[in-house]
Amino acid sequence: MSQPVSFLGRAERLLGTDEAEAVGRGVSRFATNRDQAVSAFPVMEELRDRTRTIRLRSLAHLDRLLAEFADRLTEVGGQVHFAADAAEANEIVAGILERTGAKLAVKSKSMVSEEIELNDHLGQMGVRVVETDLGEFIVQLAGDTPSHIIAPVMHWTRQGVGELFTSKLGAEYTDDPGELNEIAREHLRQIFLEADAGISGVNLAVAESGSVVLVTNEGNGRLTTTAPRVHVALMGMERIVANWQDAAVVLEVLARSATGQNLSVYTNVMTGPRRPGDPDGPEELHVVVIDNGRSDILAGPTAEILACIRCGACLNVCPVFRSVGGHGYGTVYSGPMGAIVTPGIFGMEPWWDLPYASTLCGACEEVCPVGIQIPSMLLELRKRAASEGRLPGWLEAGMRRYARTASRPTSWSRAKKWASRLSAPFSSRGWMRRIPGPARGWTDHRDFPRPAKESFAQWWSDNRGS
Amino acid sequence: MDRDIFLTKVGKAAMAAALPDAPEVPGALPVMPTEDLVALFRNRAQQVDTVVHGPISPHGVPKAVSGIASGHGGRSFMAWDDLPAAGVVSALASAGLDRVAHEVPIDGRAEHQSGYRHLDLGITGAEAGLAESGSVVMLHGPGRPRMASLVPNVHVAILDLSRLHRTLANWAMQHPALVEETANLVVVTGPSRSGDIEMKLNLGVHGPRHVHVVLIR
Repeated sequence: MSQPVSFLGRAERLLGTDEAEAVGRGVSRFATNRDQAVSAFPVMEELRDRTRTIRLRSLAHLDRLLAEFADRLTEVGGQVHFAADAAEANEIVAGILERTGAKLAVKSKSMVSEEIELNDHLGQMGVRVVETDLGEFIVQLAGDTPSHIIAPVMHWTRQGVGELFTSKLGAEYTDDPGELNEIAREHLRQIFLEADAGISGVNLAVAESGSVVLVTNEGNGRLTTTAPRVHVALMGMERIVANWQDAAVVLEVLARSATGQNLSVYTNVMTGPRRPGDPDGPEELHVVVIDNGRSDILAGPTAEILACIRCGACLNVCPVFRSVGGHGYGTVYSGPMGAIVTPGIFGMEPWWDLPYASTLCGACEEVCPVGIQIPSMLLELRKRAASEGRLPGWLEAGMRRYARTASRPTSWSRAKKWASRLSAPFSSRGWMRRIPGPARGWTDHRDFPRPAKESFAQWWSDNRGS
Repeated sequence: MDRDIFLTKVGKAAMAAALPDAPEVPGALPVMPTEDLVALFRNRAQQVDTVVHGPISPHGVPKAVSGIASGHGGRSFMAWDDLPAAGVVSALASAGLDRVAHEVPIDGRAEHQSGYRHLDLGITGAEAGLAESGSVVMLHGPGRPRMASLVPNVHVAILDLSRLHRTLANWAMQHPALVEETANLVVVTGPSRSGDIEMKLNLGVHGPRHVHVVLIR
């Protein structure tokens, strides 16, 4: 993966930038829209509980549901492939495209394809892959990466997009979002209708019927899976539910939690390729089921994160995400969800510090439509990082000294007196605005309250104690 | 990778997983406070920029659809073979619109589909309407092209009032096996939209810029 620097390094670079502020503004709006939609839907709480049950049961019976899904889809003419890791998934897709002679592929936004870096792989074998989600299209043209899982170019200005379309597409400059949209529509329409293959993700797979469900607002998901002769759908293996009724419930909470819509504009349910007598649709449908570290997550202490439906609600309310944006996380899965998923899929090295990119305020768990216990899993991963000896030496030593001091009443009360005295020169009106030494990192961005002159315990023994 | 090896590994992980206990999924959905479905559908459809017409009698549909077509200056259309109201195709033809053939050939696929580029209207039926979200559900199959609600500038869906349901979840609960009957089912909730550029709403990014629903009684 990209950016081999620490979370702190990336955050330092992003804090206070126009980019981070644009993302912060954008996600605040998503969060407000979500709150409105959730409170306007009279059975939201019941459906959240139901979604949690549906998703946890899916994970508990994952092998059985995947087998059922594969059997049903095969019966209706689809082909199911299983990939243990990213390399195998890329090889499978490459093999399908090679066999079918595909040279031009359109792609509908898929996080798992970014996880396995599919575009690079296909590009190397001479297949042109065109991203068709407007945001992903911009990101691809610019050689950038998404800053939010459902709004990839939240960090872009309209002027930036205008300049990009002028330089890369030869379009006349405009910064009107409507006109920019028209330029992209015209450019991509012919590519859609001529493409040899369509590559998509999967929001949900339905075991009982062998269906794959794909939701988009723009319609690029439907065009990608309708116009080309071959459709290849990539899915993380956990993205499955038992039946269509369960899928419908998850879709109700997904759109409301993501953007505050009652439903996404297009919910596309595909059960096999074009059937005899069908006027249109793909001749071949392939589904690639990808593990890539997920079975290890399932067997470990963060199994519950696999219940995630990728709505992005936890990103939108997270104070850390709001301050640094998606690029702060350095990987495809960002925010509180990403801080758990990323070390699981890509390994603790170098991603062990992402679980520390959280204040543990719990806002994520509160909005999660699946009720995933995000903060406690972040703590699990922190514990693991510490036990693997990944923390810097000064932090390790400092924490040990703190524990020793705080566990003895006499040393603790002495420490409090010293803290009060030592803080005096750096304080004014009860606040410290600049602390020297290792604590400077805190006061660069925030003030710190000055320790009280007299501790509560001291006051109690002086005034009320017997 | 071999399916059995893959699934065995997943099975072992699922057995070892320390997941919170999950009870059975309850049989019934939570009950919602009663609403007038037609009024709710109209209100929610308008919120997502869908134009709702009627309810009218099936005899009035050809005239209503022709009116929508001329309002958008339409010159070409694609239509399902089994629309829920008679006379729509002939009314559009006599108004001078060209009907575009919707059978995509196996050979010459790209050439045929390139002919869809400037398609003005797509006329479809609807399997169901969902009042809570203002959505229409389309079940595709023989005589029912998916492209009709996807590539034109304007999509017109003709929906029988008796097919109105409260939510997607309610409808799915009543028709659990419908997704198996067709290779493609689509729920459409308003015109194609994007807020990708500075979160400014744009309609018609890839799909139709306009959606009309004609309600029939």
